[in-house]
Amino acid sequence: MTEIAAPAPAEAKAHRVRRRVPTRTPHQAVRPGARLGGPAAALPWVLPAFAFVGVLLVYPFFRSVYGSFFEDNGFTSSFTGIDNYTRLADDPIFGRSLLNTLMWVAGTLLLPVLLGLLIAVATHRPRFGGLARMLIVLPFALSPAATAVLWNFMLTSDGAVNQVLRGIGLDSWAHTWLLEWPQNTLSLIVAGTWQATGLNVVLFAIGLRAIPRDTVEAAELDGATGWRMFRHITLPQLRAVTVVVVGMAVVNSLKAFDMIWILTQGGPSRSSETLALTMYRETFRLFHVGYGSAIALVLSVIVVASSWLYLRRQMPDTGWAKS
Amino acid sequence: MSGRAAAAGTLAAGCGTAEGQPPGKVAVFGDSAAWSAPMAAAGAAMKSVAGLRLVPEVNPSLESFEQVVKSSLRTNKAPDMLKYWSGYRLRDLARTGGVADLSRQWDAAVARGWADRSLREAFTYRGRVYGLPMNLAYWVFFYNPEVFAEHGVQPPRTWGDFLAVADRLQRNKVTPLHGTADGRWPSFIWFQEILSRQDPRFYDDLMNGREKYTDPRAERALRTLASFFDKDWFTPMDMNHTDAAAAVVHGKVGMLPCGTWLGSTLMEAGGKPGKNVGAFVLPMAEPNARPSVIFESSALVATVKGPDHAEALRATRNWLHPAVMRAFSQALQDGCPNPEVPAANPVVAALAEKVRGDRLWLLNRFWEQGPPELVEATVDDLAGFLLNPSSYREVLRTMQDRADEAWKVWREAERT
Repeated sequence: MTEIAAPAPAEAKAHRVRRRVPTRTPHQAVRPGARLGGPAAALPWVLPAFAFVGVLLVYPFFRSVYGSFFEDNGFTSSFTGIDNYTRLADDPIFGRSLLNTLMWVAGTLLLPVLLGLLIAVATHRPRFGGLARMLIVLPFALSPAATAVLWNFMLTSDGAVNQVLRGIGLDSWAHTWLLEWPQNTLSLIVAGTWQATGLNVVLFAIGLRAIPRDTVEAAELDGATGWRMFRHITLPQLRAVTVVVVGMAVVNSLKAFDMIWILTQGGPSRSSETLALTMYRETFRLFHVGYGSAIALVLSVIVVASSWLYLRRQMPDTGWAKS
Repeated sequence: MSGRAAAAGTLAAGCGTAEGQPPGKVAVFGDSAAWSAPMAAAGAAMKSVAGLRLVPEVNPSLESFEQVVKSSLRTNKAPDMLKYWSGYRLRDLARTGGVADLSRQWDAAVARGWADRSLREAFTYRGRVYGLPMNLAYWVFFYNPEVFAEHGVQPPRTWGDFLAVADRLQRNKVTPLHGTADGRWPSFIWFQEILSRQDPRFYDDLMNGREKYTDPRAERALRTLASFFDKDWFTPMDMNHTDAAAAVVHGKVGMLPCGTWLGSTLMEAGGKPGKNVGAFVLPMAEPNARPSVIFESSALVATVKGPDHAEALRATRNWLHPAVMRAFSQALQDGCPNPEVPAANPVVAALAEKVRGDRLWLLNRFWEQGPPELVEATVDDLAGFLLNPSSYREVLRTMQDRADEAWKVWREAERT
């Protein structure tokens, strides 16, 4: 109480001072360009942030765009115009990589988001729901690198998954999970799901708690239960959280890298590469810096465009729609 | 460049004496944590020989190691010395002008009998030497003598023996051969081994861009491999070398092709040289061909712009000294490029004796042969073949398309 009350007299005092010395009209006081309070006055405070964003984000971005018009091996470079972009169109590895990236987006929306929602709803009310939630959230606390090592142990041909399948007589179900496309990408998505679902559960759980109790009670009085309650009350009330979860899932799936890198290095034969991996391999393994920059730009355009379109559509009443 | 390097050496040596500085330290930047202890051991020996201590610095990620090297070479943040690859990878580095010419050091070492003369080619670019050999690993087949004895087979002496051993092991429920695409690079191993045994001359020509992947001889090598797949002789293609080493020691896998550097992994898996770990050079498939063996040797490189360039050059003058080499190769448990230094590991020592005694033709490894960017791509193609052996014709066509492009770029760069 005292903490809240303390600033009040000072504020009152300030008001009194302003009233007692009316040297200029309030209109002049807020005029732009005045000694304090004008838009220019904010500049020194914003500059460090601008500098950081400029040096670490804007400059590298435009440098990459510029670099994508060159054939560059890291030591020498020559201008080739849009050659790198036309090469993309003919490159089967880029095509496969784009397809894998789309599989990651679709898979991430289908599995971790949907599972996250279902688990959050299923564990919302029951007695040991909190404990169950915690167990599901745990993998999220592990580093992706550690998770990948764990899944490598599970998914190799002689790994835990195949051993269990053979152990229970399901020999025909045992596969070379990481060696053939598309099952290597699908296996990677499942491994990614195991880790990513936890965060979505937490976010949906927060959303569920924020649903006003009277809305739920009113619906219950009207006889809504089970699926109808979920469809007409819970889901609409979770809309804001869903926008965040789906938005994050889309961006994260487009960026998918660490899990794939450690489990398959994009292989075998580059069959499980996503755009992020192809960019990395071309730039830093094959030293096709210009070509890598072109892939980076395509990836950036996809990430920004999809996020922007999605948010614009889902949040029409915010600044996204106007920008 | 050698003049500049020598002048810099004299200058720095002069400064050191004038200022009475204590003996310095030179960092050697490498990509293998397993090389830290050997490098430290060599550093200690170097201190007594040349008053210099070598300090290992490791970046265990192959990707970022290469990235750091290539991006820092033109700056004054370049590491003083590098553990690098030989062959075309070293040439690629030498082309940047960022590494020192070590021809004098090489010639001096050969004159003293400290280096195997036949290795020179693997470390040269345009006739000058840019790296000194660090180790000398042979590519061999590891096996478990106890398991071989149990199944009544001997290490093969002929190609026919080799096929018979694999067949016998297969019938006795031991997976005869380890093959893998895990980690990408190992995909070249079988192609390299089979091709160099069927036609070593063709292997050498192909690796140096003088022959084509679409040649019937390359096709024959992959067809031979495909026949091994048909007989179900291979392990799953995602079994890594660490697991394979353990599988050999425990009698689950019969033969494991790899560089002799895998010896330490086999020891860690419980292997004892001579008892349950042995090694043989794969016999020639073509008896009339010149007997050959694949070798692998890392290069010790001195950068031009490293902060302790003069000391780095002094270290290169003493690197092949028997005392330094002995300390290094004993700690590494691998073969030594200095013929005066016997290998500490009895398996490697026996192999070295056979290679020198039989005058086997030393062929550099696939990974070091041809433009690095070509090799990086063709290992992925070979991985594709390992997973779908019937695709060999298509794989070879793709490899040749890449080779045409990569050699064109490489040769253009050579001309400039």
